[in-house]
Order: sequence, then C-alpha cells, then structure tokens
Amino acid sequence: MRRLAVSFSAALAVAALVTPAEAGAATRGDIWFLRAGEPVSVGRSAPGVPGLVRSLLAGPTKRERSDGVRSAIPVGTPLLGLRIDRRVVTVDLGARFAQARDETALTSRVGQLVRTLRSVPGVTGVRVRIEGGIPVGLFPGYDLRRTVREPLDVDRPTSVRATQLLLADLGFLAPTGVTGQSDEETAVAVLAFEKWAGLPRDGLLDDRVRATLDRTTRPQPLLRRPGKRVEVDLARQIALLVVDGRVERVFHISSGAGGRTPSGSFRVYRKERLSWSVPFSTWMPWASYFVGGIAFHAYGSVPAYPASHGCIRMMARDAPLLYAFATYGTPVDVLWRQA
Amino acid sequence: MRRLVGLLTLTLALAAPAAAADAPPPARPTSLVVALSLGDSGLQAGVVRGREVILARGFEVELARLLARRLGGRVVRFIDVRPPGRLLAAGAPGWHLALASIEPTPEARGTAAFSAPYLTTDLAVVLRRGLERPRGLAGLRTRLVCVARGSDALPVVARTVRPVRPPLVAPGRERLRTLLRTGACDAAVVPAWQAGALIGGRGRLFGPVAGRIEHGHGLVIAVARGSGLDPADVDRELRRLRADGSLGRLARSWLGLDPAALRRLR
Repeated sequence: MRRLAVSFSAALAVAALVTPAEAGAATRGDIWFLRAGEPVSVGRSAPGVPGLVRSLLAGPTKRERSDGVRSAIPVGTPLLGLRIDRRVVTVDLGARFAQARDETALTSRVGQLVRTLRSVPGVTGVRVRIEGGIPVGLFPGYDLRRTVREPLDVDRPTSVRATQLLLADLGFLAPTGVTGQSDEETAVAVLAFEKWAGLPRDGLLDDRVRATLDRTTRPQPLLRRPGKRVEVDLARQIALLVVDGRVERVFHISSGAGGRTPSGSFRVYRKERLSWSVPFSTWMPWASYFVGGIAFHAYGSVPAYPASHGCIRMMARDAPLLYAFATYGTPVDVLWRQA
Repeated sequence: MRRLVGLLTLTLALAAPAAAADAPPPARPTSLVVALSLGDSGLQAGVVRGREVILARGFEVELARLLARRLGGRVVRFIDVRPPGRLLAAGAPGWHLALASIEPTPEARGTAAFSAPYLTTDLAVVLRRGLERPRGLAGLRTRLVCVARGSDALPVVARTVRPVRPPLVAPGRERLRTLLRTGACDAAVVPAWQAGALIGGRGRLFGPVAGRIEHGHGLVIAVARGSGLDPADVDRELRRLRADGSLGRLARSWLGLDPAALRRLR
C-alpha cells in the first residue's frame, strides 16, 4: 500500500514537473554526497526530481564508494512522497532519515538533500517532512518548519572574513586584520598557521588550510612558565608571545640559516627602534637584542625558511608588536622542537 | 421552625465534608498525555503532525516515558504545545504531565502543580584546551570568560566570578564553541545541561568541564490539576530514578554529561 502511495506521489511529482508552471525547471540535477565529511557532487544525474531523490537515497555506487564518497543518509530510507509547488520541493521521507544521535550526520543529511534538489534549475527551496509530519529540533541548524533555501555551511568557514576571524581567534592574525579582504597580512597569518600545523608553507588560503583550521586549537607553548615571555620555535620558524602560559600571538619569522641562531634561554637586554648592523651594513628597525648581536627586527625579506645571519627577521607589521611586548628583561626561549 | 432550620443547616454542614470525603478521587489515568514543546535536540526533538508528536526523542522525552511507566501509564501520547507560554495558560490544559524545560512561576501554580527539579539549571564552566583546572571560582578571576548572548550567564559570572576583564559575549553557541576551541576564551560559562552539546563529542579540542556554578534553579514537571496524578508520586519516582542512576544515565546519553555530577565551584 505504501509502495503504491509512493508511486502515486512520484507520478504526481512527475506530472507536476511537466506542468507549464514548472516547465522551466530542468528535470536533471546533480547528486550530492560527502567525501571526508565535505559535500561533493558526484557528477551523475537522474531524470526527474523523484529519480534524483531516489538516486540520492540509494547512496553512492560501488565505484564512488571506492573513491571515498559516502552518504550521511541511511541506506533504505524510503521516499514516501514528493510534491512540487511554486518551485519548492516538499519531500516526505521515512523515519529512518531522522534516526541518528550524531548531530553532524543529521545536519549533513539535510545538506545533501537540499544541495541535490537545489541543483535542479528552477527549484528555489526544499521542505522536509518525516512520515508526513514536520521535524522540529531533529536536525540542528535547520528550522524545518520553514522552507530551506540554502544548505548550512556545516561549521566551516568559507568566506575570507570567517577564515580571518578564525586566524585571529587562534592568535595568528591581529583582530584589526579581519577585513574580509584577502590581503598580504592574511597571507602572512596563513603562512604562520601553515608552519604551526605542519602544512606546505605557501601562504595560500586553500581548502586544506580551511579544513585544518576547523580542527585546530590554540598553539601551546613548549615551556610552562609564569609571566610574560617570548618563545621561538626554530623548527617551525614561528615566534610566540606568551603570557602566563597562554599564547597571545604567533608570528611568522625567519631565523639564522644553517642554525646560526643559538637555542637557549635569554633575556631582552637592548632595544633600539632603528638599529644599525655594523657587520652587515644594514638598518634593523624595531630591534630587540636578546643574546650577543642577535635580535628580533623588521626586515624586507622574511622567507618561510631560515635565511638570516643569526637574527630573527620579522614582517614590518609584526616587529613593532613584539618590540612593544618584549620590554627589558623579558625572557626569550629559543627552542628546537619537531614540527 | 427556626430550630428546625438550624438543625437542618447543621446536618448539611456536617454532611458536606463527609460527602466530599466519600467522592472518589480522579482515577489515575492509564493513558497519559504528555505535553512537550519541541525544539532542543538534546532535551526534546521530534516530528509533529498537527498537535500530535508522531516521533519524539531526547532527555525529557525519555524521562517522560520512564516516569509514565512507573506511574502506571500503559500508553503515552505526546503533544506539542506551541508557543511554550501556552502550556501553563489558564483553562483545561488537555494533558496530564508537561515536560518542557519549565521553571515554575507563582502565576502558573493555578494551572498545575510542580514536581521537584529533575534537571539543574546551574551553569557549567568549560575550559579551553591546555588550561589547568581551577580549584574554585577565584581561579577564574584573571581568565577571559565567554558567555553566549541571551543566556543568563553574564550576570551570574559578574556576581560570582567577578572577572578582572569583562566577559566576552558571543552572538551564539557556534561562535562560543569556536572562541573556546581557538583559545580566544579561557573558559565558557553555559547552562550545565548544554555543556555536553558545546563540546559535542570533540573533547580533544577542548579542556575539561571544570565544574558548575550554583544558580539555584531547576527544570520541573508540571502535573495538571485534576489529572488524577499526585505530584508527590511524581517526586517519589524522580527520587527513585535519581537514586538508581537512571536519571544520570539519561543525562549522559542525551546531554553528553550529567550536570548533577559536576563539581560545585565556590
């Protein structure tokens, strides 16, 4: 009887599709699944909206599964009915669709359904029904009492601003750097983050960086010491400003090539806003010396690898911040640890 | 004549209480109608057709099922009352029990009697990863505390923790979670029953739940007047559920942690 009802509903849906009002809506669309938790279109389509939904519910093919494609929708979820009214598709599914305890899985199910149906030209929204009823609170993030127009961004920053906000939250970017524009300051913050996370050091805000940002916590200092201090991680080529064990900022640096920056525990003993390097005949703005003639200072070129004669090069925007932080006597711990 | 009227009045006066005492109390229902107000995935969520809840789950739903069984209800029917404010409005409620995150108000006592609390609304302190667990509230004073906008955590934090830096107010739970994960906040203060959902099974990205700040409130069950159910029976069964660990198990299962088991921070 239920099968009959589904067939009837599907027939109605097909009929609805070919009505003049819906004629503009193509009867083909993309099927959306997940790969490594991320939405992915598998590049196959099915005729008609009911066919599309059935293909989605059937899950990925064997070949797609071998390619890492998965579905958050339980296999065997029945399609109980489908209706199209004013370019909004109402899909009635069996209770199986709502059975799960994992919030992410539940949210992803609706995401897959909405992405798939929204890929049909002309479809502007989706209504989800379970056994003919309205789901309330079952799919976190979605208010299914209303028509869903867009899928959620499943806890992922996709805009530049969202990514900048995360970089600032983690200490890689100054709060003033959250501009929504992909600029040099953001690229440097991304580079510092890549160094911390052990990613290829290219400063590009790509999917890998975004995905890693989603599961990263604030950098932890290697040494647990009270008070204000600077920790230099030679392996990762970053400097951490630490206050009472909490990392306040992380800076991209370039230390001495060939291990010319000595490791050890030192203190800032000399500060010059514009220092002249006698042996190398160059100006070193915002210099904070901590051992011998070795200092943190601003420099025009700060590559992603150790490149200096021993000093710690910093970006022109970052050096004044470290200069202000590291007062006379501030401990500087230069450490080598595996990234 | 006057004596006769007096005697009759006296007889009636004496008979009235006896008659009232003889009237049978409302029979305890075997089919219970439980009012919900669906919305929170941990406490109660489901599928509604009209007013009928055709699929329900969550901490409060499972608690209602457990209680109903123990109170002799063989069949439990859930209804969704929306908006939640209508639950305790005057008039015949159309339900026997209501479990809908109710905090009792004096005005509502006309419609329903209330049980003892089944879930504390104390606030939990969730720490960022890498932060040492404070011994007490004083240990949080110098830390940057975050709260979610709209929660009642802000005045409680101001009163009990008295932080050196003003708390950071996040626009929502998702942002609060991000601020805590990224260490932009040292600690998040949230209703204790939401702490498990905040961490969301991703404990590796967060620190421990340091404890709870007593807030003095709790969620209670409303028992409709004239429903045939005695609030004292509900309280007794709640005590038993707490004593045999069922309530704690339900909380851990649906909320991620048992708020009652958290250490009290002073």
